[in-house]
Amino acid sequence: MAGLELLSDQGFRIDGRRSHELRKIQCRLGVFKQADGSAYIEQGNTKVLAAVYGPHEVKGSRAKMLQDKVLVNCQYSMATFSTGERKRRPRGDRKSTEMTMHLKQTFDAAIITNLYPRSQIDIYVEVLQSDGGNYCASVNAATLALIDAGIPLKDYVCACSAGFVNDTPIVDISYLEESGGGPELIVTILPKSEQIVFLEQNSRLHEDNLSKVLDVASKGCKDIYAILDRAVRDHVSKVSNVANTTE
Amino acid sequence: MPLDSRRICGPESTQSPHIFTVNKDIKSDILLNGERKDGRKLDQIRPLFLRPGLISQAKGSAYIEQNHTKVICAVYGPREVMRKEDFSMKGQLTCEFKFATFSCKKKRQHQQDAEEKDLSVQLLEALEPAVQLDKFPKAQVNVYITVLQNDGIALAASITCASLALADAGIEMYDIVVGSSARIHGDVMLVDPSEEEEYRSQDCKDVNEGKVVIGLMPSINQISALTSKGEIDFETISQAIKTCIQTCQKVYPVLQNALVNSVKTKT
Amino acid sequence: MADVNYSEAEKTFILHGIQDKFPCREDGRGCEDYRHMEIETGVVSNTSGSARLRLANTDILVGVKAELGVPSPEKPDSGCIEFFVDCSANATPEFEGRGGEELATEISTVLSRCYDNSGCLDLKSLCIIPKQQCWILYIDVLLLECGGNLFDAASIGVKAALYNTRIPNVTVNQEDDEMEIELSDDPYDVNRLDISSSPCIVTLSKIGHYHVVDASQKEEACCLARLMMGVTAKGTISALKKEGWGSLNPESIFDMMETGKKIGQVLNTSLLNVLEEEEKSGNKRKTVGFLK
Repeated sequence: MAGLELLSDQGFRIDGRRSHELRKIQCRLGVFKQADGSAYIEQGNTKVLAAVYGPHEVKGSRAKMLQDKVLVNCQYSMATFSTGERKRRPRGDRKSTEMTMHLKQTFDAAIITNLYPRSQIDIYVEVLQSDGGNYCASVNAATLALIDAGIPLKDYVCACSAGFVNDTPIVDISYLEESGGGPELIVTILPKSEQIVFLEQNSRLHEDNLSKVLDVASKGCKDIYAILDRAVRDHVSKVSNVANTTE
Repeated sequence: MPLDSRRICGPESTQSPHIFTVNKDIKSDILLNGERKDGRKLDQIRPLFLRPGLISQAKGSAYIEQNHTKVICAVYGPREVMRKEDFSMKGQLTCEFKFATFSCKKKRQHQQDAEEKDLSVQLLEALEPAVQLDKFPKAQVNVYITVLQNDGIALAASITCASLALADAGIEMYDIVVGSSARIHGDVMLVDPSEEEEYRSQDCKDVNEGKVVIGLMPSINQISALTSKGEIDFETISQAIKTCIQTCQKVYPVLQNALVNSVKTKT
Repeated sequence: MADVNYSEAEKTFILHGIQDKFPCREDGRGCEDYRHMEIETGVVSNTSGSARLRLANTDILVGVKAELGVPSPEKPDSGCIEFFVDCSANATPEFEGRGGEELATEISTVLSRCYDNSGCLDLKSLCIIPKQQCWILYIDVLLLECGGNLFDAASIGVKAALYNTRIPNVTVNQEDDEMEIELSDDPYDVNRLDISSSPCIVTLSKIGHYHVVDASQKEEACCLARLMMGVTAKGTISALKKEGWGSLNPESIFDMMETGKKIGQVLNTSLLNVLEEEEKSGNKRKTVGFLK
């Protein structure tokens, strides 16, 4: 991209981060009272809310019901004001449908689905403000919401993106870096077993560099895992403290 | 708004030529020397023509004409609820309000637009309290309203017309709902406004410009619909509601008469 | 509406509570009390103005985006406002897909009716070149959790977001016959909207023989008919709408309107106070958003 240096000679990115640095992550569990589980996450300027309902009876058509495992139902939508230019519809467009599908696949792999046959778990993700890495933030928020809802997971699900600029892999890329046209790798892993549950790459990247970028992205996922884990522990201890004092 | 692909529609972005005609004397004031343009008194309603039971296929129907406002309504049912999800032990009422494409100054689309959907809901809420829904459990009654020509207060005329059609269909009701409307213009109140007199937000600059529509069940003295538009003083709006109630009371015997006559001719 | 099925006994309990006029409502409020409300503006940086409102369990996020467009031929010398309401599935699974659309259009029509008059918001100031260019304000309301009284909450959120809205200054340069619009780069060179006469909706729910404001979800389930009023700070009424499947006695309508007007004026002034208070704390204020 002309005139825009994604990585300066000193090794700084546009927003002042170094190549291996994540954006600031802030999160909170239990945002809503009515949902069975909910969470909010801010990754830099990307803000995502997730709510989980269930497990409950299968809603709508019975044909969707699975005999041996739970049906994971996702919906990804973006607030109409979340992007720079106003979106006309919050959901239903191609991109959101694709995102919904990706989320479903991701969580199908992470939830211990055989525990709840013939039931349904709803995961609703709402992007309030988008600044790159929407999918990653959505996955991280949904993980927290699932934990808040007490749904058994194989492990935390952590997602992180990475790009490749000037022969250097950069982690957790923002909207500006995404739109630069460089390669983008999105990885979702289960950090403990180091299994990859979702992997997507856009644009061209030389094979030799793939493992480098993948390593950086996985490292990002593990860093995110540490942050999420701390948030969950904080939340649980706070909740149990409140429970103790009221007793 | 998704367009109907099965019909050949005109270009999407056409405008009615009426918008561009600069007719200052209409815009400037709706009253001419303190009198209404069609020569009516302020509280005088337009002559009312009512005709129940004119659509033979429908269970019940009615036609109303107030000068150039012409509305036709057909009622079908009670009939089985089609969608399984809509099942309920109480009867259901549905309303579909539609301006005929040629009915207004600007051309209407074949499909319901947002305004028509809103009017459908308002009409439904006006009629629902009057209909004894528990008399036809697990079934529904469909009301279809078509405005053939709109010369003001389409909603009020539709309320009257629809309740007449419901009565004609033999649907049990607590009372007939009578619709009426008033235009508030500064200190004066114009009952039963025509299209020219109706409230449009872009022409008005002051407070106390607006309109009120009510639906009244006269014999049990209950208001089933009430909507207003425009910024109006509290006292003025209360007065307008009272005036509308009086108008409804005045029209009520006419409706009763029309129904009785239609029954007589049937037998 | 996000319906929850309550048993007859529970409904009767609520009904009796209100009828007995003893501390009255299930949560101990009086008939004319609002629940706890929290408001924060400027929560979404991608917008021209935004606000988040939490009224007990009702959670609403409003974003205002100002975009350049062509004025409608009916109003060539003023800008436009467009309301869009989205009921997020976060609120209840029933809103998934297109499930929330009905409620959403209902809210947006009431809102646009409230603002559909020249007094409530000065749309003329949004015009840049008559017949050619104007600001279009897209007011997007996102419903995140519903705990009753959505209409009031939405209108308060909209008013707060409009207060927070900053529209960049534009200068029009005329070159020969060409008009050229220049947008100011300075983030502080902005115009604000005057919302002093914008309305708030007050919904009065008729439960039994009495009416209450700010009905909770439970109370809404018991309510036969409600009256929505758009009330401005001056006490004028910008919109009126009866809703629900019951009907109302004319006398009780006048009673309800009286209450609504009184409450609406107080609501408007206290909202403005809160917004001004927040404004005073200026840049030092840290936006918390959903992190609290």
